[in-house]
Amino acid sequence: MAFKQIIHSKKVLAFLAVFMLLGTNMLMAQTTATADAAKPGVDWLGVGYYVLLFFLLAISVAVIGKILKVYDLSQQIQGKKGIHWNNIMGVICLVFLVVGMAGAYWDITVQGSMSLPEAASKHGVKIDDMFLTTTIITMIVFVITQILLFVFLFKYRHSDKRRAYFLPHNNTIEKVWTIIPAIVLTVLVIFGFFTWQEVENSTDVKGQPASINIDITGHQFAWELRYAGPDGVLGKKDFRLTAGANKLGIDYKDKNSMDDLQADTLVLPVNKTIRLNIFAQDVIHSVYMPHFRVQQNAVPGLPTFFKFTPTITTEEMRRKVEDPKFEYLLYCNKICGSSHYNMQKVVRVVTEGEYNQWIAKQKPYLTPALRTELKLASADQNKSITNNRLALNN
Amino acid sequence: MSTLSVQDHGVAHHEEGHEHHHDTFLTKYVFSQDHKMIAKQFLITGITMAVIAMLLSILFRIQLAYPDKAFPLLETLLGRFAPEGRLDPEFYLSLVTIHGTIMVFFVLTAGLSGTFSNLLIPLQVGARDMASPFINMLSYWFFLTACIIMLSSFFIQKGPAGPGWTIYPPLSALPTAMKGSGLGMTLWLVSMVCFVASSLMGGINYVTTVLNMRTKGMDLWKMPLTIWAFFLTAILGVLSFPVLVAGVVLLIFDRSFGTSFYLSDIVVNGQVMPFEGGSPILFQHLFWFLGHPEVYIVIMPAMGISSEVMSVNSRKPIFGYHAMVYSLIGITVLSFIVWGHHMFITGMNPFLGGVFMITTLIIAVPSAVKTFNWLATLWRGNIRFTPAMLFAIGMVSFFISGGLTGIFLGNAALDINLHDTYFVVAHFHLVMGSAAIFGMLAGVYHWFPKMFGRMMDEKLGYLHFWLTFIGAYLVFFPMHFMGLDGVPRRYYAFTEFASMQRWLSVNMFITWAAIMSACAQVAFLYNFIHSIFWGKEATQNPWQANTLEWTAPVERIHGNWPGELPTVYRWPYDYSKPGAEEDFISQITPLSETMSSNLPHDFEDNPAGLEALNTWTNTQKANEEVK
Amino acid sequence: MAQTQQEDRLNLGAKKFIMWIFIFTSFMLFAALTSGFIVYSGGSGHGLNITLPSSFRYSTIVLVLSSITLFLAARAAKRLDYDKQQRFLWVTISLGVAFLILQVYGWYTLSYKMHIYLVDPNATRSFVYVMTFLHLLHIIGGIIWLISALSGSIKRIPQVKNLYRMEMTSIFWHFLDIIWIYLYVFLLLNQ
Ligand code: HEA
Ligand code: HEA
Ligand code: CUA
Ligand SMILES: [Cu+2]
Repeated sequence: MAFKQIIHSKKVLAFLAVFMLLGTNMLMAQTTATADAAKPGVDWLGVGYYVLLFFLLAISVAVIGKILKVYDLSQQIQGKKGIHWNNIMGVICLVFLVVGMAGAYWDITVQGSMSLPEAASKHGVKIDDMFLTTTIITMIVFVITQILLFVFLFKYRHSDKRRAYFLPHNNTIEKVWTIIPAIVLTVLVIFGFFTWQEVENSTDVKGQPASINIDITGHQFAWELRYAGPDGVLGKKDFRLTAGANKLGIDYKDKNSMDDLQADTLVLPVNKTIRLNIFAQDVIHSVYMPHFRVQQNAVPGLPTFFKFTPTITTEEMRRKVEDPKFEYLLYCNKICGSSHYNMQKVVRVVTEGEYNQWIAKQKPYLTPALRTELKLASADQNKSITNNRLALNN
Repeated sequence: MSTLSVQDHGVAHHEEGHEHHHDTFLTKYVFSQDHKMIAKQFLITGITMAVIAMLLSILFRIQLAYPDKAFPLLETLLGRFAPEGRLDPEFYLSLVTIHGTIMVFFVLTAGLSGTFSNLLIPLQVGARDMASPFINMLSYWFFLTACIIMLSSFFIQKGPAGPGWTIYPPLSALPTAMKGSGLGMTLWLVSMVCFVASSLMGGINYVTTVLNMRTKGMDLWKMPLTIWAFFLTAILGVLSFPVLVAGVVLLIFDRSFGTSFYLSDIVVNGQVMPFEGGSPILFQHLFWFLGHPEVYIVIMPAMGISSEVMSVNSRKPIFGYHAMVYSLIGITVLSFIVWGHHMFITGMNPFLGGVFMITTLIIAVPSAVKTFNWLATLWRGNIRFTPAMLFAIGMVSFFISGGLTGIFLGNAALDINLHDTYFVVAHFHLVMGSAAIFGMLAGVYHWFPKMFGRMMDEKLGYLHFWLTFIGAYLVFFPMHFMGLDGVPRRYYAFTEFASMQRWLSVNMFITWAAIMSACAQVAFLYNFIHSIFWGKEATQNPWQANTLEWTAPVERIHGNWPGELPTVYRWPYDYSKPGAEEDFISQITPLSETMSSNLPHDFEDNPAGLEALNTWTNTQKANEEVK
Repeated sequence: MAQTQQEDRLNLGAKKFIMWIFIFTSFMLFAALTSGFIVYSGGSGHGLNITLPSSFRYSTIVLVLSSITLFLAARAAKRLDYDKQQRFLWVTISLGVAFLILQVYGWYTLSYKMHIYLVDPNATRSFVYVMTFLHLLHIIGGIIWLISALSGSIKRIPQVKNLYRMEMTSIFWHFLDIIWIYLYVFLLLNQ
């Protein structure tokens, strides 16, 4: 019986091999064919190939299953025990442990090294320290517990000769393994809490120069930047004033608004404290600058901000990551609609001299077009909001 | 024989004349009020939804792996949602949203709690049925309605809801913001209201049944851990789902009546909207006040099932039964005060963030207790590798891995950079998409004989387990590193960023691993369906387990036990007791029948029993000396 | 004895428990709304800043009265005085309907007299509408319970069941009463 089955399955296997060969050939042909065929038509052959492949796989699984069953039965008829599935599973568990651990290690070294380069901001370094501590602690826990789990499975796999050890509880050891994690977590909590407090600390230190204020506004699907002009102060905004060229709703009754600048790239001077004031116009977006370990949601109706100090210029970073085209990026990290996946802005960290040069070249928001649109005479500052609105509505 | 007669079926629903049951097809299979049948209905609906949600995940995974390739088949299948064989970006978001919603709510809340609470609560506490079978039936029908409404949104012009399963307004509140915020979103909300109604009806029933309908001798400390888990889960649901309703009602008002609960300062496409004064953060508070307990609603039944399965199959009492219960209670209580960890970077007060961080990390302590107790249960056991046991073990392995990544996220400072990246996706798929799903599968394999009177095939179970176990690790482990590189979630493609393109090969790998895991589910489905009809007939107690459900006859009768309800004398975990003949002693075996294996510990609050034990051991000793 | 046995068989104790848990869930709903209110008004600096229409005051009185008449009805039912039970149930139902009307009238005054609409940049005001609306939905449910108790009494269903319906109705109705007082006091405090 069993013999027959094997022959049967060999046939199937041979068939499978031929099929695979033919199939790959066909598929190759397909790809070259579709390359120049502009009009997409359903490639039923390709689809059918995969479906058939799956069917064949299922059939071979069924055949193997049958063989196993028959073998088991024949053994039982001969009075033997049949396959010791418990042993097999125990061994697979052990194999899984070894291979899994090796795989995890490989993954951590290979893909782990693809993760972000060193933090390019002051607070980012602290976050990275915190991250390292957490990683070490959790790695230790991970390795120990997984090893225990799978080794126990192998070691205590079923045997008719043995009985399990009746052990309902043991208060001492239970206390130990409640208290130890509690202590470890207390350490993590305290460390984390202070890191968090430092990162989120938003008061300017007295005596040091005030941080540079930059407005960033998210909307579907782009970011708008606004730098303060020579006066160093950003003017007021009111969403109701948004119209036409005044796409941020800047309030030009406020004198401080007059010289505010617009920019395409978020250029930041190195080693200066930056305060990003974050706004959103339509839905929630999120300002995410992973290299600086900065993220803050942009919420309509709820202005937020993030304060940080970049420490590595783009040039330096390019050298560090050995990529001459490297750019820091700012992108949107809160689902916001169809182009959520492409809502980015280049961030460039430069020396102070370069920054001053750059900012001198930026254009004010109040373009001549906007000026006429708002009917703003340069000296006319007395318009009330209602007037303004009237002007907008015409 | 009043005990034999079946309980009444309804509150205000003809109370008389129900003693005789003429089971027609309709009352037996469709409008059934028998908890076992309702459990099966939940299970099969849940599995159907799981398969659908899984297929959705494969669809969007293909997009992530081959962002530049056209698949004409997709256009044939999806029509306008995949013009020229490539998914529409908004439809991608809809797929992700519906995938998440179905998996969390329909598969793991209704499918898991609905199935196993329904099946096991009456059977394991020794009741004839739920407290109110009628409400129980309604609960299923609301659930089914919710499923149908949710799926129907695929057939409307603009497609299903798209703002993520967390439906944060304003995106979900402004129909103009994206296609998925239109009618699809409305259907989502309606479906969710039905779903909450179903969950509440179920939960209310479970709590009541556990508290009021336990059989004689079944005090709280004799309940199996499954019951404890379902009970606490139901309490979580009953307390947190109404909060979601409140949040959803306000959202509906914002969408349909123009109120500004969540909306303020909005300009869409240069058009100033009239909303003022609202707070989008308010919704997030209301949502996560449910949302966080929800993730424990999802994992606790899986924990209970795994505990039970692991104890039975390692032939050993669960280690630290009391500690297991207290840690469940601890998780239940703590889960209400950690919701803010989803909102660390929304602009919430940083001090509040710090507080939430502390509570979040504390929740790892009860989880640690559970983990170590599971390990101790395996230690020196006599482990039988049934498929159920394997899945329970897989659950533990995934829970450790996923829980540990939760420790990173729970740290507010680290969350700044990890929030909404693939690191989060990896975290919750490990704990939820893997651990909780594995708990559910363990339950299916273990209680299949109870539900269908037949056994599932073990070998196919092994195949299913290993492929899924390895597959899930392959899918979700690499995602951590994408997250650490700052790759955001809910991105239609990573082609727009030079820095993300190097993850393409990883994405391809993940997709193929996911396809493999999905194919492995075919083994399960075949096994499941085949075994329902042609499986080997089950014996009454196929796993040699102690709990009450295995004392009920294999034929599933209305009322569960013929004759008297069983009386309970001991806790459910007397496995491999020294001195006992067999390695298990059913809960209905009186202590007086097992004198040789009784321990002083068994008589903790029963001095008379202790006395009897002492005299018995003394005579035993005396006899030996005589010899 | 016979009675308790029947009660056991019908599982009425457990069903009463169901009502209690349902009340918990309802309570959570309103608690969520009120905490939402607090979070909102705290975060946005908006207060209610209106005097609630006087009809809410009257409706409170009406609802308290209805609780009393329902209590009397339940007592009459226990004493097997079905006529009296029915009479008081009728009164309760009409008080319930009166409450409904007063609430709607309250909305009318709010919007037409005081020009405080559902749609308002100050969402605390919208909250008033939503809270009263959800409470009214519950009241409608409560009235249905009252009617079922009344019809049961008229149809002379067995006393166990009559009492059971009365009790379920009472639990629910008194709860609605308390919830309304809670909401009203909450709104008054935030006026
Ligand atoms: C079953 C579901 C489930 C479970 C059980 C958990 C468990 C935990 N989760 Fe998770 N979580 C989700 C489902 C779940 N989560 C989902 C769905 C989301 C995303 C929602 C979305 O945005 O779409 C999420 C998101 C999420 C976030 C938000 C991330 C973000 O958006 O920025 C955070 C942050 O704190 C978090 C933390 C935790 C923690 C600390 C635990 C802890 O309970 C884990 C405890 C367990 C262990 C720690 C392991 C075992 C313990 C030991 C072996 C002992 C020793 C350990 C130590 C000493 C460290 N989770
Ligand atoms: C239970 C929960 C669950 C499960 C099982 C899964 C399963 C899978 N998930 Fe998903 N997923 C979520 C819950 C879940 N997911 C949630 C909540 C989100 C967030 C949505 C949002 O952002 O709004 C999400 C989002 C999400 C993303 C992020 C998309 C994005 O942000 O752009 C991705 C990407 O790869 C993904 C992939 C997958 C894959 C490949 C699978 C699997 O297909 C993996 C392979 C298969 C298995 C491991 C077997 C599972 C078995 C069954 C389903 C059968 C079960 C049978 C019974 C229960 C009896 N999921
Ligand atoms: Cu903007 Cu996502
Ligand atoms: Cu959470």
